[in-house]
Amino acid sequence: MNSFDLRQEFEEFFIKEAWLLDNDKYDEWLDLFDDDTRYWAPVRENLDRGNENFAKPHLLSHFDDNKMTLGFRVKRLATGYAHAEEPPSRTRHFVSNVQILEKETDRVRVESNFIVFRGRPGKDETFFVGVRRDWWRKDPTGWINEERMVIFDHDVIESITIFF
Amino acid sequence: MSDFTSLVDLKNKTVHPRVFVDPEIYKAEQEKLFGRCWLFIGHESQVPNQGDYVTTYMGEEPVIFVKDRSDRLRVFLNSCRHRGVKVCRKDHGNTKIFTCPYHGWSYNTEGGLQGVPQIREAYHNDLDKDKWGLIEVPRVESHYGLVFACFDEESQSLTEYLGSFAFYLDLILRRSKGGTVSTPGTHRWRMPGNWKLASEQFAGDNYHADTLHRSPNLIGLGPDEYRGGTPWDTDFEAKCSNGHGWINFHLPSEDIPPVQAEYMKQLEKEAQEVLPPRQAALINGVQVGTIFPNFSILGFLGFTTIRVWHPRGPKEMEVWSWGLIERDAPPEIVEITRKMQCLTFSPSGIFEQDDGCVWGEITDTLSGQNRINYPLNYQMGAGHGKELADKPGLLHPPSTEIGVFGYHEHWREMMGRK
Ligand code: FES
Ligand SMILES: [Fe+2]
Repeated sequence: MNSFDLRQEFEEFFIKEAWLLDNDKYDEWLDLFDDDTRYWAPVRENLDRGNENFAKPHLLSHFDDNKMTLGFRVKRLATGYAHAEEPPSRTRHFVSNVQILEKETDRVRVESNFIVFRGRPGKDETFFVGVRRDWWRKDPTGWINEERMVIFDHDVIESITIFF
Repeated sequence: MSDFTSLVDLKNKTVHPRVFVDPEIYKAEQEKLFGRCWLFIGHESQVPNQGDYVTTYMGEEPVIFVKDRSDRLRVFLNSCRHRGVKVCRKDHGNTKIFTCPYHGWSYNTEGGLQGVPQIREAYHNDLDKDKWGLIEVPRVESHYGLVFACFDEESQSLTEYLGSFAFYLDLILRRSKGGTVSTPGTHRWRMPGNWKLASEQFAGDNYHADTLHRSPNLIGLGPDEYRGGTPWDTDFEAKCSNGHGWINFHLPSEDIPPVQAEYMKQLEKEAQEVLPPRQAALINGVQVGTIFPNFSILGFLGFTTIRVWHPRGPKEMEVWSWGLIERDAPPEIVEITRKMQCLTFSPSGIFEQDDGCVWGEITDTLSGQNRINYPLNYQMGAGHGKELADKPGLLHPPSTEIGVFGYHEHWREMMGRK
């Protein structure tokens, strides 16, 4: 498959993924992740140009989940007592600027920008902006996520009650 | 000057809603609390070398925390003496000199004004550089790694300020031979809500855990799993001097992941060597506390978070939080506790999120012109506290609001000072 087709494939794939998140289909969304996926978001720092290094191990993250802990978060929402998400936020995920960064036989590294709107009761409205760098593996069942690094463009962020 | 002392009713144990929403009170707090109390700055391990610095805040004021050329820890207002621009704009780093980006005045790590562009041609050499150094926070002291600073030259020492609370703080800071270090990285986030709502909760509101944190409980990750000590003995809350408060309860040793159970056992053993027996006996538990006015600490199973609730107007706060770990902790424990920090008490924490969502609603509703006339109830346990021989403070098993109200009693006292 050439890069153009692959890019197009991921653009469509991300649209479907965003639809799952914006329509309360968290269990189906969770199915996209490998058991030992790493779904994480390193904290941002204001440093000298070029000095932020996301390749360092054990960076502090806003979240740093595998499928089990991501599953805790999904299950928590279903209890009806996750008060920060009761009543549930209205979210809208906009995903763009999809690029294929690396290609291996059955794995690809894909980058995508996002703007996510979160609406809470009483005009409590937030935009989250950033970029996602993912590793996806081609399985017989479809693409499986091996890693998603969410790089927010916020240094001081707001309470993170939703998924990216 | 308004009298704020009537807002905390000592007899009825109530607090007036104005305390949490009134801009006039907020303004007075900046002087009477943030200008006079010891405020948390950072951990010594954040600035191990000469010239290492971290930028942070004392209340609303940006400050630089730096280790100078003779290893002294100093805190300066991050503001140029010429027009006030920040002389340091990075979160952390190492430098010999802080140079202002506006006109180029430069300051050394002792705060001295070192360089002034065109000092001969434009100032005709008439500028007395000795008088125009960075504004230094006069008092900087540390307690087993935690560094605090105070704008009040006359203030009691940090040790006196911590008072009996040090007994509890040391359960974490001094339980191992090597002491603690803070782990890399800072969680920073904004939340609606008055900053005192967070501080008072950590000072002694264990009452909320069963209800507000019910969702982690329901999926098997919550405080329900963690009860099981002896009331008054291992399970208690303590109202300490100067508005500080502590919550402590024992963790049963079953149901703990083996690596962490092993680590806690080792810590308990070390604690028996370095701490008096009555402290060593309390090591293995859930521990939560607040140092008045806006520093809190929370730990369990080897994981510890320390944080500052920075005031950002009466209705908003900015949280800065860090992980704390024993200097000699094995790498797998450091990694487990980092993951716990991300999952439990962080901007996305499955406990933290729910705390944040109620604090914002409180400041919303209390502002109502009717609601504001009805006081808030802090009566739980009043009159039932006891002093015991083996540990300091006024004690009561969870739940009680003795410590939470103690926080406001001290608020009242500080706000009443001339
Ligand atoms: S404001 Fe700093 S040099 Fe002028
Ligand atoms: Fe809480």
